[in-house]
Order: sequence, then structure tokens, then C-alpha cells
Amino acid sequence: MQDGSGRIVVQNLTKHFGQVAAVQNLSFHVEPGSVTGFLGPNGSGKTTTLRMLLGLVTPTSGHATINGQPFARLGNPGRIVGGVLEAQGFHPGRTARDHLRVYGAAIGVPDQRADEVLNLVGLGTAGNRAAGGFSLGMKQRLALATALLGDPQVLVLDEPANGLDPEGIAWLRTFLKAFASSGRTVLISSHLLAEVEQTIDQVVIISRGQTMYYGPLDDLRKQQQSRVLVQPADPQKLVAALQENQFTNVSPTPDGKLAVVGATLQQVGDIAAKAGVALYGVHEERADLEQLFFRLTSGQYTGQSPYGAPPPGWGAPQQGYQQPPQQGYAPGTPPEGYQQVPPAGYQQAPQPGYPQPGGYPSTPDGFQQPGTPPGGYQQPAPGGYPQAAPGGYQQQPTGAPQGYAPGGQQAPNPYAPPQQGWGQQPSGPQPVQQPPQDPPPPGEHTNPGGGAN
Amino acid sequence: MGLLIKAEFRKILTTKMWWAMMIPALLLAFGWAWGVAALTNSIVSDVSDVDIIEEFNISFDDLSWSVIALTRSMNIATIFPMIFGTLALASEISRKTITTSFLTAPNRGLLLSAKAVTYVIWGLLFGVVIAIGASIGTAVGSESSYLPDAGQWLMILLSGILGCLLWTLLGLGLGALMGSPVGALVILLIYSLLVGPLGDIVLTAVTEGSYLAGFLPNGSANGLTGSTASQVLATQVIDLITNAGGVVDTDGREQFEQVVRAIAGAPGALALWLSGLIFLGWTALFFVFGILRNRTRDIT
Repeated sequence: MQDGSGRIVVQNLTKHFGQVAAVQNLSFHVEPGSVTGFLGPNGSGKTTTLRMLLGLVTPTSGHATINGQPFARLGNPGRIVGGVLEAQGFHPGRTARDHLRVYGAAIGVPDQRADEVLNLVGLGTAGNRAAGGFSLGMKQRLALATALLGDPQVLVLDEPANGLDPEGIAWLRTFLKAFASSGRTVLISSHLLAEVEQTIDQVVIISRGQTMYYGPLDDLRKQQQSRVLVQPADPQKLVAALQENQFTNVSPTPDGKLAVVGATLQQVGDIAAKAGVALYGVHEERADLEQLFFRLTSGQYTGQSPYGAPPPGWGAPQQGYQQPPQQGYAPGTPPEGYQQVPPAGYQQAPQPGYPQPGGYPSTPDGFQQPGTPPGGYQQPAPGGYPQAAPGGYQQQPTGAPQGYAPGGQQAPNPYAPPQQGWGQQPSGPQPVQQPPQDPPPPGEHTNPGGGAN
Repeated sequence: MGLLIKAEFRKILTTKMWWAMMIPALLLAFGWAWGVAALTNSIVSDVSDVDIIEEFNISFDDLSWSVIALTRSMNIATIFPMIFGTLALASEISRKTITTSFLTAPNRGLLLSAKAVTYVIWGLLFGVVIAIGASIGTAVGSESSYLPDAGQWLMILLSGILGCLLWTLLGLGLGALMGSPVGALVILLIYSLLVGPLGDIVLTAVTEGSYLAGFLPNGSANGLTGSTASQVLATQVIDLITNAGGVVDTDGREQFEQVVRAIAGAPGALALWLSGLIFLGWTALFFVFGILRNRTRDIT
């Protein structure tokens, strides 16, 4: 039987709906006493994962357990896990109290528990109203009340903030924190990091059915690196000076400035002064968590930023800088300027069936994609995730901005074409090397290497 | 299991569906029985008044003609328990309450079993209500001399109640199989009201009185009550003829029963027990596949 630990373990979970791979080899675990956010854009597989966890969807492979057991072997699951799922139905003609009494009977709790949970979620006065007349927010509250009927040890919530008013969201936040601090487990999904940022301790970020990040939220925060935007009189000279001082991550912005990552204002100012380069403007810019999230999950449907490209020379260590460049930093940056790698770059090829991004410029003639990503990046095993060190698998070598990286320490080909990150990352042992080819028509280029199955 | 059955009962009793189905079932059974009984009265008395019949001194008045009213009214009223059963799982699937139902049950098999037990009980309840309606209607509309004796009456009622139970479960199974209440209801209603009855008549007529129709779901279901009625009438007629000094062989009896079955709304039906077994088979087929389908269905 179940071990009463309150742990949720998702191990190599995969689900295919026909041709569409909704979830691919997903692994993470959720510890009691914490609120874990389960984040990803729409259609990234969150709901499917949670439904597999709750025994509503049968996984194609892998397993998901609560308290060490799959859902169907929990005994009386209503006492152990409460689920608030999207599109959870209510009979429109049944009152809220009757709804709770029905499921309370199934779980085996006394009838007054229905009124207790109604009051708990703030529906005390609406108990005699039919659920069909409820607003979306009231339905969410009723779904939560249903989940709480059996006083469960684990709460699984799928987008619970949908339809809630700000007051309701604030209440939910407080409630979940209190729930978790009593030693119980909360797993809450959302497509908005901001919505749950203040609630969660741990975060699992998925995109296209795969884990992008898994670890404490604080570690994700630490990754937010600032960059300094500087407008020098002589960019070439300043770049050279910066590189002498080990600041290699320098790139031009569309408005003629330089973006220096990993340096402080003072450092940039001092170096410029020493080099005798006049500065017309300098300021620091920080990416917020939301941008980080966006960067981690971008590219699912729209493709990543049209300027993103897989790093030339993937595995090459990048000195002193763990963070992939923020795509969010300069959305308008021209391709030549920002050879960045959105994390999607080491994902598998997009699933068949997903709409292909339409707006990609086609591959330049004769381009050869350099470097093979280490296989280990393809499908990071859960065990291999250093929980406390997200940098370990977050790290993306940044393509050196061509023109400013004379050493080219990791960029055999700085002219990575705009859209390589999408389709051409091999999903397995397939060769990454792309033979030079004519520019394929848009829409085909995403899958030229057979990387997508 | 007990908890889940309790929950299923609450599901039914906290919405209006059960009485929205049961009241019309009662009224239909009552009205139909009354109408058919009255119609049978006038036809039989007209026929009895025909000179030839009177000449031969056959007393139709001694026959329990009102069994036809009983069977016909119960047959037609079974559509209500059938609808009720069809919506049992299909409406949970379409309304997505099945999600919560599965989340609060130890496993799917147990939930589906609890539903089955619950709807067996409700099918019987519907059957009893319909039997009461049909009995009152028959008693009101029929001449007292045409009423069957208590044992025969009870026999027909029991076969009708069994029919209600099986139709409920057949509906439950088809609804579970299809997952769409509208689709399952349209199919069942068109079949049980139109295609089934007409098909049985056509099939029986075309195959010159074969028992083919009796093997179909509608034919076998109607055969439950229809064959009981025909048995009652055939026994009485044979008694009459034997008393008058005549002899009826088994072929003669079989022919007569077929005619009465057709009048009772079950053309081509087999004997009571065979009809029951065949309809049980049809019910089990839909029911088992419906349940199996939902043991593995992805609830998305």
C-alpha cells in the first residue's frame, strides 16, 4: 500500500495521443512541505501529465506515483490526494452542497464535511445554489472544495487560478502556502509564472512535453544575470578592451549599443575609461523571472525568436558564464547580433503535428550546422538533474557575436542560421551534421535531418 | 463498494432526472394499458357478436384478453428506464463529472460495478412503477371478465419488470460504450420505437413466420412479455377447444401462440425463457463492452 510519504514521483513519463507526443520522458518529483509549480505554455503537456498522475489517462510508458503507488492502488484515493482539474464537471442542476455530499459519500466522510469545505473556500452562502449558475471562479472554488473533502495529504491543481478574481488568487496563494507548510504536498500548474511566482518554492518547467528546468525557484532567480547596455564612441575598441578583461559576452544591439553580459556598470565604466573610449550612455538591465520562463519555454508553437539559433559548438564550455543569453533581452536584435541559444535548442525536434512556425527565413545556402550536441542533453535523466545547480543543465554556450569574438573560442560558425534550433536538433543519435543544402522552402526546413520522427 | 453505491444513489436523487423519467413512465404505462384494454374490449365484443362465432358457441368472453393491454403498455413504457440507463454513464462522461467520480473511487472497476448495482436497483424500481401503472390502466380499461387471474397477471408483470431492468442495463452499456448521451439516445430510441418493431414485423412476415425477429434485441425484449401473454391465452383457448371436444396438437398451439404474440407486440418471438436468455445476452454484450471501454478510457 501507499507509504504515506506525500511524495509525488514522475518517472520517464511518456504519452502519445495518436501521432502527437503530448508528454515525452518527463521526470520530476515533488516533496511534501513545499508548493511546486508546474509551468509550461499551453499545450506543453501539463494537463496530460497531471491526469496521468491522477490515473485518468494511461501513460504510454513510464509511471507516476503518489505515496509510492499509482493512483489506482491508493486504496481510498480521496483521502490521500485531491485533484482540481481543468474542465472538471458539475451537474448543472445539482446544488453545490449536494455535489459535495455525493463525493463525500464516495470517499466516506460525514455529511457535515460538505459544509466545512464550502465555508473553507468561501462558498458558504452558495451551498444551496445549483452549480450550473456558478461563475467560473465559483466553479474553481467548488472544485477545490471537492478536492479538500477527504482532507488529503496531496493537492494537485491544474490552472486553479483560471477565472479567479484577484482576491481569490490571493486567497488561494495563502491557502496553498498554509497547506504546504503543514507538511503536505502541493503541485500546481500554470502557464503564467507571475501567477504562481509568489506561491511556489520549487518549479518544474516543461515545454513541448519535456522538462526544461526542475529545481528550486530561488536557483532560477539566481540565474537572472544582468547585462549592461553601453553606447561607446568606438565599439570595436571597447569590445577589444572588454575581452582583454575576460568579458567576452558582448553583442551589439539594434540601436547601436553594446550589450555586455556578466559585468557591472562600474566594471564597464572602468574598462572604458582605461581604454580611452568615451561612453555616451550606460545602464544596467535585468531580466525578470517571467522573461527567463519565456526563454525556457519559447518556441513551442511560434518557434523561438527568429534570431535564436543553436549554439555553434554546443558543448563547448563557456567561461564564467552559465546562463544562456536572454532572448527576451532584445527581441529586435538582428540575427548577426545575437547568436543566442534559446534552451529549446537542446530539445528534441518538434513533435509531428505541431504547427510549424511559418515565418522563418529559410536556411542560408550551404550552411552546415556545426557541432553535435552531447547526447546527454537530449533527454536529461531526472536523476542527473542537480537540483541545486540548475546551471548544470541550463547552461548554453552563447554564440559569440561575430565580429567581436576574434578568438571564436566556441564558434566554428558564428553565422548560425536563424532557425536551426527548431527542427534540426537531433532527437537521438541521428547525425546533426547537415549537408549543405539549398534553402528549403519554409515549412520544410524544420525537419530536414529526419530529427523529428 | 457500499460507499460508492450510496454516492451513486445520491447522484440520482439530487437531480430531477429520476422523477422526470418515472412520472411519464407511470403515466404512459397507465394510459397505454387503458387504451389498449378498451380497444381490445370493443374488438373482442364485436368479434363475439359475429354470427359464425356465436353459432359455434365459442365463448371469447372467457379469455383473458387484457393480457395484451398489460404487455403492450409495459413494452412501450420500457423506453423510460432505457433512457434513464443510457444517461447513467454517458452524461457523466459528457458533463465531465466522471473525472471527479474516478478521483474519488478506489479504482474504475469498483466505480463501474457500483454504478451497475445501482442501476439494477433503479431498473427494478422503474419496472415496478411501470407494472403498477400498467395494472391500474388495464384494470380500469378492461372488462372484468377479460382480466387474467392473479398468477397470470403477476407472471406478466414480472416478465415486464425483468424487461425494464435489462433495458436499463443495455442503455447503460451502450451509453458507456459511445460516451455520448445524444448519440446513444438517438440510436436506442430510433431502434426501440421504429426500426425494432417495424423490422420485427417485416422480418417475421417476409420469412413467413420464422423466429428470426426473436433473436434481435427488440424482438427478444418484447418476447419476454409477449410470450407470457400468448402462453396465457393459448392455454385458455386450448382448454376451451378441449372442453368442446376438439383436439389441438403442438403445431396448432404454436401457430396460435405466434398470432397472439404478434397481437401482443412481439411478432416472431421465442418462448418466454428463450427470449429472456437472448435479451440477457444482448444486454450483457453492450454492458460488458461499455464497462470495458471505460476501464481504460483516457479521461481528458
